[in-house]
Amino acid sequence: MNDNILDIENLHVKFKTFDGLFSAVRNVSLSIGYDESIGIIGESGCGKSTLSFSIMHYLAQNASVEGSIRFKGEDLLLKSEREMEKYRGDRIAMVFQNPYSSLNPALTIGFQLDEVGMHHQKLNKKEAREATIAALRLMNLGDPKSIARRYPHQVSGGIQQRICIAMAILCKPDLMILDEPTTALDVTTEAVILDSIKDLREKLKMSLMYISHDMGVINKVAEHVVVMYNGEIVERGPKQQIFEHPLHPYTRALINCMPRGSVVKEKTKLNTIDGYVKMRGAEETGCPFADRCDKRTDTCELSYGIREVSDRHWAACDRAYATDIPDSTAVKLIPKKREDVHGPLQPKELLKIDGLQKIYGNRRKVHAVNGIDFSVQSGSVIGIVGESGCGKSTTGHMVSGLHVPTEGRILFDGTDITVGWRKRSKETLKNIQLIFQNPGRSLNPSHTVEQIIARPMKRLAHIDDRGKRRTMIIDMLKKVDLGKEYLSKKPRQLSGGEQQRVAIARALSISPELIVCDEPTSALDVSVQASVLNLLNDLQVETQVAYMFISHDLNVINYLSDHIMVMYAGKICEYGKRDEVMAPPFHPYTEALLSAVPEVDPTKQRTAIALGGQLPDPTKKPKGCPFAGRCHRQVGEICAREYPPMVRISDTHYYHCHIDPTDA
Amino acid sequence: MNRITRLVLQRLGSLLATLVIMSFIIFMLVEIMPGDVAQMILGQSATEEAVAALREARGLNDPVLQRYVRWVGALATGDLGESIYMQGVAINSILWRRVGHSLVLALAAFILFVPLSIFLGVLAGVKEKKPTDSVISFFGLATMALPEFVSGVILITVFAVTLDWFPIVSVIPIGETLFGNLDILVLPALSITFVMFGYVSRMQRSSMISVMNSDYVRAAILKGMPRRYVIFRHALKNALLPTITIIGMNMGWLFGGLVVVETLFGFPGMGSLLMTAIKTRDVPLIEACVLLITVIYSLSTMVTDIMYSYLNPRIRYQGGQR
Repeated sequence: MNDNILDIENLHVKFKTFDGLFSAVRNVSLSIGYDESIGIIGESGCGKSTLSFSIMHYLAQNASVEGSIRFKGEDLLLKSEREMEKYRGDRIAMVFQNPYSSLNPALTIGFQLDEVGMHHQKLNKKEAREATIAALRLMNLGDPKSIARRYPHQVSGGIQQRICIAMAILCKPDLMILDEPTTALDVTTEAVILDSIKDLREKLKMSLMYISHDMGVINKVAEHVVVMYNGEIVERGPKQQIFEHPLHPYTRALINCMPRGSVVKEKTKLNTIDGYVKMRGAEETGCPFADRCDKRTDTCELSYGIREVSDRHWAACDRAYATDIPDSTAVKLIPKKREDVHGPLQPKELLKIDGLQKIYGNRRKVHAVNGIDFSVQSGSVIGIVGESGCGKSTTGHMVSGLHVPTEGRILFDGTDITVGWRKRSKETLKNIQLIFQNPGRSLNPSHTVEQIIARPMKRLAHIDDRGKRRTMIIDMLKKVDLGKEYLSKKPRQLSGGEQQRVAIARALSISPELIVCDEPTSALDVSVQASVLNLLNDLQVETQVAYMFISHDLNVINYLSDHIMVMYAGKICEYGKRDEVMAPPFHPYTEALLSAVPEVDPTKQRTAIALGGQLPDPTKKPKGCPFAGRCHRQVGEICAREYPPMVRISDTHYYHCHIDPTDA
Repeated sequence: MNRITRLVLQRLGSLLATLVIMSFIIFMLVEIMPGDVAQMILGQSATEEAVAALREARGLNDPVLQRYVRWVGALATGDLGESIYMQGVAINSILWRRVGHSLVLALAAFILFVPLSIFLGVLAGVKEKKPTDSVISFFGLATMALPEFVSGVILITVFAVTLDWFPIVSVIPIGETLFGNLDILVLPALSITFVMFGYVSRMQRSSMISVMNSDYVRAAILKGMPRRYVIFRHALKNALLPTITIIGMNMGWLFGGLVVVETLFGFPGMGSLLMTAIKTRDVPLIEACVLLITVIYSLSTMVTDIMYSYLNPRIRYQGGQR
């Protein structure tokens, strides 16, 4: 009767805390068939991970669980810890978000894989090592024998994650749970890993549960999609239907708030979902999304509840296209444009970078930035994109003075500022501000929001009058959509999005001319990311500040930038106006990056260009084209021998490549 | 060159620099201490002429730097000088026997408290917030709060006076050696254990807790590894690192700074020798003792660092992500 490998019925997970009983998972019912792949999607705090840990029977002591989780007919919730050991790693395997911390730093990779076979399949040491090597080989890791002898910190993040997946498939599990396995990785690495997961499923015939907040990733790996919000399943069904015709307003909003290929700042504002996921008390009932829903009516909760809407498509609410309330998207979607506010731009060269180089370390020299030239026009946004380790953050840090360049010059508004921040004038410090990736860690936890914003005003702009400062701060907070009540709050009382807004307010409070934004939205949920991007765009148009926007996400860069600079191994690969860079002819690396971005639209699946190999060794000064080792369009041995010449496509657009531009 | 070898050489170099600086500081500190050495040797009733003659004979009238160089020069050839209080006995002949006694006591204490505190610390960490943890943590706190002269007195009262298992004072009868009287080590070692147990076990407990909550331990449990195996193979090696640092930092104190414990029990070690030297203003002896303690401190820190990098592959092998 039962052809499912996993049946979850009416699962409730509650956590007891000092503030009372909270509900993390509520009334979740879900089945996974043999050889089926389901994707679970939702923002952080929606209970996705709690759900997966419940399946593994691994929850904190303060959790209470009700319902049943039947794996091949046996209720896992009734198993003892000892009985669970036979399932974990053997029948059900799990892969986690952060491969770096999921591998034991003190043990070799081989040891950590061998022990799985030795425990579950009672192999001896030699057989276990053979199984390990076979699994590593299955993950397309070259030279598995030497990898097995190494320690986790000696291999890169992408390889670490492939090792974790190899560990999970050692016993050929029936079900593999992947909890955001690619979130911490580069798009190109992500593409490689997603491909190998697809491959594995074909070879091993296992069921998959893939948790992610990224619609594009889910689109690539899952057949079924489950949308979770605040501990509840709000919608589930076949991928095609969920993506093309979502019924729950949350699903629709979530899909819409991802920036993607054709969405750019001049044309549309990004969709957002106001508010954030709140902790939900155990006693609360009704629609969890009501407080953030723009299709909410007074009566809609009466019909709330998960039900089968059409064949295998379940939804808790079907008001996604309700017409009694107009789409908020249609009303507020026109973004501010520069011309509306200031008239056409009179460009002035604000920042000029000349032969910039940064070498870290004394004995082992790491060439982080390898001689780059570019300039930034006042009032414009330059997006710098590239994989981690390409030198984009180092460039940003040198511009802001956190690092001193080894060679080259930085001119700001005509003055030479090629020195560390200590030696810069207050005027320069005021004019170049920074926004960091992780607002939780870049805001002083013991200062109030008012103190945080007031500090640069006091130190750099010399606004000494307390009352005046306060009015300015309140103004500033209003600009970033925060109320007066935030003045006395401390960073830990704010959500991630609010913290980033405070960081933005702090940077803008002394009207700088340039803000270096170092991955400002990477740590945020997609819906929050959308609202922060909208805000950054509006503020940029209004104040005409220039942004140096650093990100690994091409969609974000594409949305916000006027110019795009693609970096690889400390060099500029391609530079040009946004539309020039995003359209052919491409530099092969840009092409690979673009192809690796997961597509949200299920009808438009593309295959990523698989970039084999590794970033070139940064301790050696590269001779030829740094990208030659991984390039899919190598011309010949000239690539490895000579640094490619600059190919000018137009006045504003160039790239470095040996490929004849007429062939490209 | 091997990384560890390079580390050892580097540390030996900095040890030498530390010694030069410390010898200068020690010399200067003793220099500004009140009291005249010649006066002290000859006693209060000595005549001015006699004092002046002794000063001249001993070179005490020479400039400070000249005397410092002379002292360091003698040190370099292994000559620690002569004790004043013990009327010209070479310090070499007193000091090294005392150092040996101190080392044996430190070793005895070490064998007692290190396994005990680590084991109980791990146990408390694994059983976090359970009764076992509460009991161990309570004892850790209680022994930490008692200064060693209080816990020492309690130990003497219970084990020496009431039960009469061990001698009340830890002196070595004249003509015998420490190895014939090993029972005198027990009470001082126990008293040191009382001091150290709290620090070390609490450190071990908290590092065990944080390692048990780490992602890689979670990953090991969810790989289906048995709990005991996870604790010993995955968690322990990582959880030992901070504890080793703490123990290493206290090794110097253990070898050379047991002034209170040694004085309380009358144990003939370095600590009580230093105490006597200070009480009698025996300048050369003070200088020699303090310098030796500096050496011991530096060496034990060095050994700790080497142990640490041996246990931590992220330091042992260069390269990597962070």
